[in-house]
Amino acid sequence: MGAVRRWTVTNTVVLVLLTLHVLLVVFPFIWMIYSTFKTNKEFMRSVWSFPRSFSLDAYVGAWSGGALGGYAVNSLLIMAGATIITVVVATLAGYALAVYRPRWMPAVELGLTAAMAIPAYVALVPLVVMLRGAGLLDTHMGVVLPTAAFNVPVTIFIMQAFFNTLPRELFDAARMDGASEWSIFARVALPIARPAMFTAAIVNMIWVWNDFLFPVVFINSPARKTLPVGLTDFVGEHITNYPVMLAAILFAAIAPLVLFIFFERQITAALLGGAVKE
Amino acid sequence: MSTSKGFASSHNRAALLFLSPAFLLIAAFVAYPVVYAGWLSLFRWDGASAPVFQGAGNFVRLAGDPIFWRALGRNLLVALSAMVFQVFLALCIAYCLVRIVPAFSRIFLFFYLVPVMVSEICIGLLWRFMYNPYFGLVNAAFGALGLDGLKRGWLGESGTAFSAVVVVMSFTYLGLYVLLFVAAVRSVPESVYEAAEIDGAGHFTKFFSITIPMVGDAVRANSLLAIIGSLKTFSLVFVLTNGGPNHASEVVSTYLYKMGFGSFEMGYAATIGFTQMLLTAIGAWLVFRYLKRAGVGGRT
Repeated sequence: MGAVRRWTVTNTVVLVLLTLHVLLVVFPFIWMIYSTFKTNKEFMRSVWSFPRSFSLDAYVGAWSGGALGGYAVNSLLIMAGATIITVVVATLAGYALAVYRPRWMPAVELGLTAAMAIPAYVALVPLVVMLRGAGLLDTHMGVVLPTAAFNVPVTIFIMQAFFNTLPRELFDAARMDGASEWSIFARVALPIARPAMFTAAIVNMIWVWNDFLFPVVFINSPARKTLPVGLTDFVGEHITNYPVMLAAILFAAIAPLVLFIFFERQITAALLGGAVKE
Repeated sequence: MSTSKGFASSHNRAALLFLSPAFLLIAAFVAYPVVYAGWLSLFRWDGASAPVFQGAGNFVRLAGDPIFWRALGRNLLVALSAMVFQVFLALCIAYCLVRIVPAFSRIFLFFYLVPVMVSEICIGLLWRFMYNPYFGLVNAAFGALGLDGLKRGWLGESGTAFSAVVVVMSFTYLGLYVLLFVAAVRSVPESVYEAAEIDGAGHFTKFFSITIPMVGDAVRANSLLAIIGSLKTFSLVFVLTNGGPNHASEVVSTYLYKMGFGSFEMGYAATIGFTQMLLTAIGAWLVFRYLKRAGVGGRT
């Protein structure tokens, strides 16, 4: 029986508590957004109040000098490089994990799970040595390759979760027609995998955009720094003008938020697909 | 499957080919550096001049380094607090969203996920304002409650710095676990709850005697995720306190970073990371062995 539930006191109490809690969680972001419309004078007068007037000075201040734009371009390049490599590599591997089940496959899955548990900083010193040897220290490519490698295991599981949902008959039918394993992948699996690859790409874009450890260690030239790293420099230099600082922080936060607003469904699906495996 | 031997071996070969790019990338940039870290931990090295072989010297030094052990202990405290304030709290929230206010679950989930999407650097910088000793909102809130005695420079005092960082972590990562638990709680069949409701069970009873047992797999998976995440933690600590003041909020990653790229003790930095990984592996092995013997972790 589809029981019609009555709205009770419990519901109201829970709703109020959750609302208060979620406001606490997102308050720093709300405060950041409205504070960027204040002038520094207004900010200093009362830090937490809403702006009385609507000033764009902070945005002008944050953009002047052009440093942030340069950092964003670097972030964009590294994001594109790492995401493309990760998704291509993980699609191939995720397909193999889902479709072929040789006896050694559980060992591969165990290895990938172990790789996921390794903190990136364990590899930090050796990676610096390796990248310096290869002439890749202080270059975008030097960040792209290790970043992609560390994101590959979880992305493989996201892709495997997708390929697991496909009926096996799909591949068996093509096999009966004498198609090679590669052409089954390229002609049958790949076209239907495009939305899943897109989903995996979106979460990778967010991860790489937000990444801090590798860029802060591997890149020294100000001209090649990524946005989160450059942001810490920027904030250090503009310590006296708070709205400008906040506008810069908002600038670094906005890209993932926009992606999340537009692709909420894909992002949550990817996070669920990658996590259930563990 | 009724496959001939040739068929199976062609599958083997195809599987290997499809896996090889991933294998190469992970071997070169994850596995090899980890092994290399073990090798580097046998040397004293400033990153520029020739490395000096030390044998077990770095490990002896590490064994007697209280900063490292306290940092490792803090990683474990982060994990413990993550179990309570991220995993368990998220399960409670997920139950409320799915079972009590389902009409609002999507909008709540959206807002809980906002900090998960934003860079930890941005979040850390924002929370530095919240904790600011002069105009910070945390102090203002205590002032408004008449608790002026509790006002302090949260991130700057050794007594509160670490707790203040842990609070930010709880707010930041909670949303991911809410998302994962909402999916798990939704998958519990309605009929189970209906049976309990006939017996007059309230939300409290249903949560503890139906939801928690029914989402056991998700609880295990998310706990594992939270523990792994806690052992990896870096960016938030780095931007909030950088392990300070005077190592009071130091975790393994910030200590390694300081040793390797502040003091240029590359060999010792490698030792720190390598040792933590070994200890984690041993710890994981002991836990799994214990669970197996106790017969708990059967299905995972």
